[in-house]
Amino acid sequence: MTCQKASHLTFYLTMRVILVVWLALLILSCKEQEVSNPYQFVIPDNFPESKYSFQNNPITKEGFELGRMLFYDPILSRDETVSCSSCHQQHVAFADPLHVLSIGVDERVGTRNALPIQNMAFQQFFFWDGGVNHLDFVPINAITNPVEFDESVGDIVDKLNASSFYKNQFNKAFGEKEVTSQKVLHALSQFMVLMISANSRYDKYIRNEGELLSTQEQRGLLLFKQNCANCHSTDLFTNGDFLNNGLDTDENLDEGRARITEFNGDKGKFKVPSLRNVALTDPYMHDGRFNTLKQVLQHYSNGIKTSSTVDNSLFTNNSPGLSLTEDEQNDIIAFLQTLTDESFIKDKRFSAPLMPKQ
Amino acid sequence: MKNILIAITILFSAFVFIQCTEDEVTSTENGTLKLEFDNVVGTSNLQLNTSNFAFENALGEDFKVTWLSYYISEVRLKKEDGTYFVDPVAFDGSKGFYLIDEADAESHVIELKDVPPGNYTEVTFKIGVDASQMTQGAQTGPLDLSIGLFWSWNSGYIFFAMEGASPVSTAEGNALVYHVGGYKTLDGSPNLVNNIKEITLTFNGDNPIVNADEDPQVHIIMDLKKFFNGPAGNISFASNSMRHSPASCVDVAQNMAAAFNVDHIHQ
Ligand code: HEC
Ligand code: HEC
Repeated sequence: MTCQKASHLTFYLTMRVILVVWLALLILSCKEQEVSNPYQFVIPDNFPESKYSFQNNPITKEGFELGRMLFYDPILSRDETVSCSSCHQQHVAFADPLHVLSIGVDERVGTRNALPIQNMAFQQFFFWDGGVNHLDFVPINAITNPVEFDESVGDIVDKLNASSFYKNQFNKAFGEKEVTSQKVLHALSQFMVLMISANSRYDKYIRNEGELLSTQEQRGLLLFKQNCANCHSTDLFTNGDFLNNGLDTDENLDEGRARITEFNGDKGKFKVPSLRNVALTDPYMHDGRFNTLKQVLQHYSNGIKTSSTVDNSLFTNNSPGLSLTEDEQNDIIAFLQTLTDESFIKDKRFSAPLMPKQ
Repeated sequence: MKNILIAITILFSAFVFIQCTEDEVTSTENGTLKLEFDNVVGTSNLQLNTSNFAFENALGEDFKVTWLSYYISEVRLKKEDGTYFVDPVAFDGSKGFYLIDEADAESHVIELKDVPPGNYTEVTFKIGVDASQMTQGAQTGPLDLSIGLFWSWNSGYIFFAMEGASPVSTAEGNALVYHVGGYKTLDGSPNLVNNIKEITLTFNGDNPIVNADEDPQVHIIMDLKKFFNGPAGNISFASNSMRHSPASCVDVAQNMAAAFNVDHIHQ
């Protein structure tokens, strides 16, 4: 009898211990999940405030995954041959690795070199001319552009509404089966705002996370600060302004920012691009005219062309060019390579999703 | 603990609910006021896709109209006592924005609901969709982008769109295209313009009376002839058949604001 009682007691005790441990584990795992929720928008320590209107479009796993599917699905183009990912590929930070000027439906050629997609939540103006001022409105441009998707927003919404697969996905993401343009744009934005690149060797160095730069890279960083960081400033490597960096003379100036501001004083000015992952995003400049960073550095050093809108900071003693020595150019290039973020281009969250057969 | 919280919440909401219903019974019996937008060309009623060039601008140039649409937003009504009824605006465009489309008769009447009772003396509204709405991102309802009244390359809504043809137009197909938009302004960009127009139309003493039993209708006329001939001058189809950027439509935007007036009130 006593023996049985004792075993009862041990049984109860063990049960209680198991319960307590179980609960503790549960709480711990919840905490851990909170910290590493892959769908949570977290601003890196060395970044500025975000510009995106999250209050109107909170990120959810389902919304993000829907945006990812849409990004990789050619259903968005008129003849279903081109997707966002045709021109924006992950292994090159979502720039276009193949084309100087991007190619859309019917092999039509665009007029601009595709920009990478990274850190979009921190950007105020989109596209080379800054004509779009909210991320949600960016895809509209690709969709309706005759040299990209050549499709109407209404047709895309109809196509998606005709797909029971997509209707289910929209229901999961937004609690309503009916597809609207707003939901399409919200899903794409949810996908794009999480594309944060902030884990390059440079980031780990600047945040004191145990990474060191070589002496050459450090010399490059210093030279970069002296020569380039007035325009390519902050840890986003852009001041967000529109400037002329001396690519052409007055006769050949592209309209650039003037297309939006309708002001001749803005001709030849373009958005100062971020230089994150720049070693991957060749070719360079709005028209993709340079293939290598060496050519870019030669341009800044002694290729600056004078025009009515060229920026003054690109002159040395009143003559055009920053006159950097061969070694200085190489140092800057070595530094620029520390901005490559391997974890971003390999992040599984952003890769092509497995799509069920429809 | 949770249960207590829930109980308190229920009690509190019941209290609020009772408060509200009591209020309604005792003090307010709100009504409806309708704004009808009637598009005309001078003394003729506007018709789309006429087989001939049925209309004439102030310069005597003939034309026809194939498309006419515009946005009305942020409507306010002023009461005799100086207070305002403000039509609520939603961040996602689902409330407070109205697309008047000539091709869709139902869209010509805006119904303002839940208007407090009283004598109203004037109405104020914007023509278009202004900067503050653009910062809210993707929109729905009348601002859904599949409607297509949007510049994608220079993101912003087209406030007022008129398309048609005139034999004197030198554009392809004798086309007339007038798209009014533009709300961006920035330091250092002197030609960026805000073409949003807010206009106030008074009822000239013929005040609509709103209460639970009456739903008065204000008959507003938009005269397309004035769009081409107004305070900013006379627009010639022969020399100016296309306007589709913010800076280029500054003059028609000014004319547009003067093309609306209150004709009469149905009590
Ligand atoms: C045919 C090629 C092509 C396709 C397809 C395409 N894009 Fe682009 N994208 C470009 C080019 C080229 C630019 C730069 C254009 C410019 O600035 O004038 C660009 C720019 C962008 C930018 C702006 C980046 C910045 O820094 O301003 C974003 C975001 C973007 N695209 C997202 C998308 C999405 C989302 C889709 C699918 C809905 C898409 N793109 C489809 C070629 C393409
Ligand atoms: C006066 C401001 C200014 C300065 C200084 C400046 N840049 Fe730029 N940079 C720009 C602008 C503007 C562009 C885009 C020009 C275009 O495409 O028309 C650009 C483009 C680039 C690009 C191409 C990026 C891409 O994705 O195509 C690289 C690389 C670059 N700059 C590196 C540098 C380096 C390195 C320095 C210093 C030696 C430097 N820049 C100094 C304004 C500047």
